[in-house]
Amino acid sequence: MEQLLEALTGETFETKLEPITTDVYGAALTRRGFVKAGGALLVGFGLLRGGVAKASVLRADGNAFDASLPQSWIEIRPDNTVLYRTGKSDFGQGTIYTAYKQIIADELDVTFEAITTVVTADTDTTPEGGGTFGLLGEGTPNIRKAAAYTREALLQLASQRLGVPKEQLKVADGVVSGGGKQVSYGDLVKDQNLELTIPVGGDLTSIFGLRITGNPPLKPASEMKVVGKSYKNSNISSKAKAEELWITNVKLPGMLHARVIHPATLGSHLVEAGKVDTAKFPNTQLIVKGDLVAVVAPTEWEAIQASWQVAGKTKWTEWKGLPGKDKVWDHLRNDSDWKTAPVARGRKNKGDTATAMPAAPKKLEATYRLPYWKHAPIGPTLAVADYKTDGSVTVHAHTQNAQALRGQIAKMLGTSVNNVVVKTYSGAGHYGRSNGGNSGAEDEAVILSKELGKPVRVQWMRNDDMQWSTQSPIAFADVRIGLNADGKIAAYEIDHFMPAMQDDRMIGAVIAGLPTMNAPSEKGGPLNGIANGPSDQWLYDTVPNLAERAHGTYQVGQKASPVAIGLRDHSMRTPGQFQQNFPREMAMSEAAGLAGADPLQFRLDHAKDERLINVLKRLREESGWETRPTPAPTATSMGTGVVRGHGVSAMLRSGTYWGCACEVSITLATGAVKVDKYTVVLDPGIVVNPEQLKRQAQGGAMMGLSIALHEEVPFNESAVTAQDWYSYPILTMAEIPECKVVLLHRPEFGTMGQGSEAANALGASAIASAVFDATGSPMRQIPLRPAYVKKMLDARNSDTNAIPPHHEERNDGSKPKSDAPAASTV
Amino acid sequence: MQTIKVNGKMREVNSSQDTPLLYVLKDELGVSSPQFGCGLAQCGACSVLLDGKEIRSCITPVSQATGKEVTTLEGLPERWAMHQNLSPSKAKGVLHPVQEAWIEQQVHQCGFCQSGMMIKATELLESKPNPTLDEIKEAFTTSGPSPHLCRCGTYLAIVDAVRHASNLMTKGVA
Repeated sequence: MEQLLEALTGETFETKLEPITTDVYGAALTRRGFVKAGGALLVGFGLLRGGVAKASVLRADGNAFDASLPQSWIEIRPDNTVLYRTGKSDFGQGTIYTAYKQIIADELDVTFEAITTVVTADTDTTPEGGGTFGLLGEGTPNIRKAAAYTREALLQLASQRLGVPKEQLKVADGVVSGGGKQVSYGDLVKDQNLELTIPVGGDLTSIFGLRITGNPPLKPASEMKVVGKSYKNSNISSKAKAEELWITNVKLPGMLHARVIHPATLGSHLVEAGKVDTAKFPNTQLIVKGDLVAVVAPTEWEAIQASWQVAGKTKWTEWKGLPGKDKVWDHLRNDSDWKTAPVARGRKNKGDTATAMPAAPKKLEATYRLPYWKHAPIGPTLAVADYKTDGSVTVHAHTQNAQALRGQIAKMLGTSVNNVVVKTYSGAGHYGRSNGGNSGAEDEAVILSKELGKPVRVQWMRNDDMQWSTQSPIAFADVRIGLNADGKIAAYEIDHFMPAMQDDRMIGAVIAGLPTMNAPSEKGGPLNGIANGPSDQWLYDTVPNLAERAHGTYQVGQKASPVAIGLRDHSMRTPGQFQQNFPREMAMSEAAGLAGADPLQFRLDHAKDERLINVLKRLREESGWETRPTPAPTATSMGTGVVRGHGVSAMLRSGTYWGCACEVSITLATGAVKVDKYTVVLDPGIVVNPEQLKRQAQGGAMMGLSIALHEEVPFNESAVTAQDWYSYPILTMAEIPECKVVLLHRPEFGTMGQGSEAANALGASAIASAVFDATGSPMRQIPLRPAYVKKMLDARNSDTNAIPPHHEERNDGSKPKSDAPAASTV
Repeated sequence: MQTIKVNGKMREVNSSQDTPLLYVLKDELGVSSPQFGCGLAQCGACSVLLDGKEIRSCITPVSQATGKEVTTLEGLPERWAMHQNLSPSKAKGVLHPVQEAWIEQQVHQCGFCQSGMMIKATELLESKPNPTLDEIKEAFTTSGPSPHLCRCGTYLAIVDAVRHASNLMTKGVA
């Protein structure tokens, strides 16, 4: 241990005293001795496996941690500054550089500025592991508990030093005082060799990583001083000043640039790799490993050009195992196995919908559909791997889960995780794509570096990233709502259908025929199973009869593909819940229409939860909502003019209540939808950093607008056909609406809800509801591209059974044609 | 071998004449801010100023930079100091108002596109010191080869920051 501490502090330790260990809320505080100068309190952990605490050892290469046993979360230094480490990486949430520092500062009773160093997401030098998601929302963040344990240990030390009982001590700005005496944290650790070992459970290289266990006393919200203020993100400064080291700028001596020539289809084998035109590309090498074809060259431009030349000469087997975009809904409904995976039921299911539904005087039956989306990072995936002859490899990457990537690379190589180091750098946002470790290029870089014995940089081109990355899964839902005579919901049934959502197989390994995790199946676990789960928390507690069911199946094309690839899915921002919330919220708005009610009031009428009610009422005020029945009295789908409407949606995700209201204009001649105003109200409980949360909510809202209006992955029978930003368009600045974000700080609930998700999922249903409000034509599918909207308007106009927007005339006994774009009355 | 001027300095380039400027900047000259987003001039992540005009370095052969001045995010402070006639001692540590505004408004999320966004904002504000909302939207959407794309959805923050930078520049704050 002394050796390790030396490595950390650069100081020499003199062990002169017997170790003294005291218990701190289940953590062990040990003083191993005194040192000549320096000193520190290091907060690490003993990972107990089979009842044996592992000892720490230094890696042979010097002052790094043993990669198998990350050592330290927090260091209190003699100069009264603090260092903290997290295995999470920053993907634009800013949490690591703002909220986490604020939480630590409050738990420790130090200033925000006292936390001078943040070390992130390096398998060699950070603890924790786990995916970069739910940074606040999934229970208490690890780092909060680490800080709380540390504070208690420091109080214990201060109590001994000052001779004052712990209960009589107070701390402010890192100075402990009591009994008329005081001592700073820095002085408490100065010249001492202290170690706090805190209890930890979990699996380092799993998607969830390690969790700090135990229950150190956490500071109540009322005593937080740093939390709640808008501190700036230091990472933004370094990026704005061009000081950031991006993954795109990582260079190693002797590094070669690679481009991979991916198969022609999602089910192709290699027939013959093209030959490099050595006259044009004299420095290029061709590498073939299984079906993995790549070119490497000393310069990037040569590698790019050579890859184009070789790709044109490379032959692949043909494959047409996908249904294609136009037939995919029929494929999902009629030609997919929804029986093998167990059906999951909603946690709040109650009553008897089977009896209540037929008895309801008015009914809505509808199917809602959400297409595949790409995570579509602005920068395609990229990694640099450096494979050494001793069998170790360092991967320089941009991943949401460095430890999981490490585990996956080790599995592919058939080696121990001790031989794999993953270092992360800033890069383009992934929105969930790499939360299981890989984002595409990492394994390919390792394979090529091993083949060549040199560092290799693999950069996917834009078309690789569009065609060979995972995508957010396609989904549809069947909804049935029965209204009673008072226009309230008597029964609600929803069946969600979505293929496996998480395929973390490394695609380069699959193509090269190397080991990687199994394809999603009924035997898979939470990360590669095919079961679907109830993700969208039910909000409307007065509904007496509720049946929510979730059905899962294999990924489209996965079983048909000879290489088990198909359309690989992966969780994307607000995963699963987006796919379940859109149909529910759109159906709620349509049901309001059927009831002749205002859609916001209709939601309030079915809510019991005080926080939801509060959010919806604030939304009504803040958005200038006009309370009236939907569709609007002026609603029409006929003509060529512009009609306007408003829509609303709500969600509870990871401890945060959200409400969204949108105002839209629809040009009837073209079906073009323009969002004019977008209001978001959110109650996360404790607002940790108002400015950062506002920016996250704004950004999420705009991504949601993009998804609602534009995004759909095109594919044919063989492959994803999106290749660039024209075949996969996203929102542009010209389309941004007036946007208002209202944060409700409610510290009395004592919890920190999540803020960077959900915002993207609210817009689609609010916008679709607003189009329904404006036109009377329900929009049951996104994206709301003009062609789709126009088709739905035309269908309504030519449908003699369509319901006119006069609610009192609705109960006419007409039945909708199948897929008729109208609310039905039965 | 050719010589190009990057952020006020003459730099020798060994890459072939047809090499896109982006790879020359990043791989050969160690200029890190422009990013590879698409290689197709469709996103703006690679934007740099060429004689004050925003171009896409991913499709611009380095030969086209001969005799012209390339400015990247790294060069914005010096560009501002020069425009403001700041003495070297006053210029030290001074950021371009666009950079100040991006920090003050906390624009970046992942930030991958923001170098290009800041370059575009600089081009805009040098020709239109007080742009309207429509002019800002036009600059970032229709004025170049393609819209400047941000996947994190920071467009609202960018508008705030352009206005903030406009105020700073109008005041001539050094």
